[in-house]
Amino acid sequence: MPLSILLPMVVLGIAGIAVLLHLLGLSRRAVLADEAAARAAWLREYPGDAPVHVTLCQDHSAALIETGRGRGVVWPMGADTTARHLDGARLTPTRTGLRIDLPDYTAPRVHLTLDAGESARWQATLKETA
Amino acid sequence: MTDMIAFPEVVHWAVPFFIAAILAELLWIVIKGRGGRYETRDALTSLVMGAGNVASSILLGFIAYGFFMLLWEITPLDLGTSIGVIALCFVLDDLRYYWVHRFGHRIRWVWASHVNHHSSQHYNLTTALRQTWTGTFTFMMVVRAPLILLGFHPAMVLFVGGLNLIYQFWIHTEAIGRMPRWFEAVMNTPSHHRVHHGRNPRYLDCNYAGVFIVWDKLFGTFVPEMEEERVDYGLVRNLGTFNPIRVAFHEWVGIFRDATQRGLTWRERLNYCIMPPGWSHDGSRETSTEIKARHVAAHPESAGTPGLPPLRGHTR
Repeated sequence: MPLSILLPMVVLGIAGIAVLLHLLGLSRRAVLADEAAARAAWLREYPGDAPVHVTLCQDHSAALIETGRGRGVVWPMGADTTARHLDGARLTPTRTGLRIDLPDYTAPRVHLTLDAGESARWQATLKETA
Repeated sequence: MTDMIAFPEVVHWAVPFFIAAILAELLWIVIKGRGGRYETRDALTSLVMGAGNVASSILLGFIAYGFFMLLWEITPLDLGTSIGVIALCFVLDDLRYYWVHRFGHRIRWVWASHVNHHSSQHYNLTTALRQTWTGTFTFMMVVRAPLILLGFHPAMVLFVGGLNLIYQFWIHTEAIGRMPRWFEAVMNTPSHHRVHHGRNPRYLDCNYAGVFIVWDKLFGTFVPEMEEERVDYGLVRNLGTFNPIRVAFHEWVGIFRDATQRGLTWRERLNYCIMPPGWSHDGSRETSTEIKARHVAAHPESAGTPGLPPLRGHTR
């Protein structure tokens, strides 16, 4: 197939599907219903590292996890979730909460939506880890 | 010996069909409220990976093709281009696909290229297009060498490889449950391939087939989809980014970081490249074999069931 046809078809196809998905409401991010959901999301990534304490953020978009091995965070990846330990994490307050930079090429940055008080508490807790 | 043979670029010609089928699957899911899930950024990443794969094949395809033409110059054999030869080439190339795919899961150097195909937590037709950008660097083109040396023209080998990829497109769906029994017995199907994309310990490293599932049954790597264990899609450790550059290169970066650590022997550096994913010099990580063993230790009742080993020290 000539590139002059293939290229526009691929670009328009990708853009069209992405716009359609968004308009259908399929850009919604995962919400952690409760602490049990946050715990399950953590165990999905680290089945051998059970949480001993879970702090769910107020809008249920992420959770701070404490385990026998240290602290970690669970956050949405689109409609799903992922999780990472926080060893070597750098914290930066943002207008909407907190940014966590991780020394991990597969998960370099986590943006958390937290209110002011929550952000201060999470920073205080996480600074013990970082 | 025939040098100038033209076969259509079937994967490029299939692009309109891919787009139409994705729209049809999406419509089905939205209308019926079942049969799979879509999410915008996940699908967008998959589609960009697919476009990058086409771009990489246009830019780097000459390396593999040059290698194949070199072999074609050497071989005294020429099987021609009859329908029977094309059909035989398709079957043998599917056997080639099985082994390349199996190497892709058991040799980290090859996994570095293939991992991106498994990096979505979704399983829909866009996942089929989440293809590698770095396949050339795995050197797996050598596995096609016997076909060309046997007298199958390189253009034909690439043509049937394209048909193989197109076949595999439709099996990346949850909208189809099971096909008729005779079809499930011989062909790769959505059910068999869902299992291949599972991150459940039971479903790791199995069902490598492209078109014919018989290869897995023949070589002992077949695991059926179990009604009682729903497939959980994605990687053992799921990515925390949708950035296509990171999706494409993360395992290569991982290999580089691991193999260049201080204090390793040369053997250990090499092993970080060629041992199964999850291997580590200090045993701090888990391979799929170790994940399965840990799972069985925690759930002894599952020992010896499909995809899982017997309890250590026991035989069933």
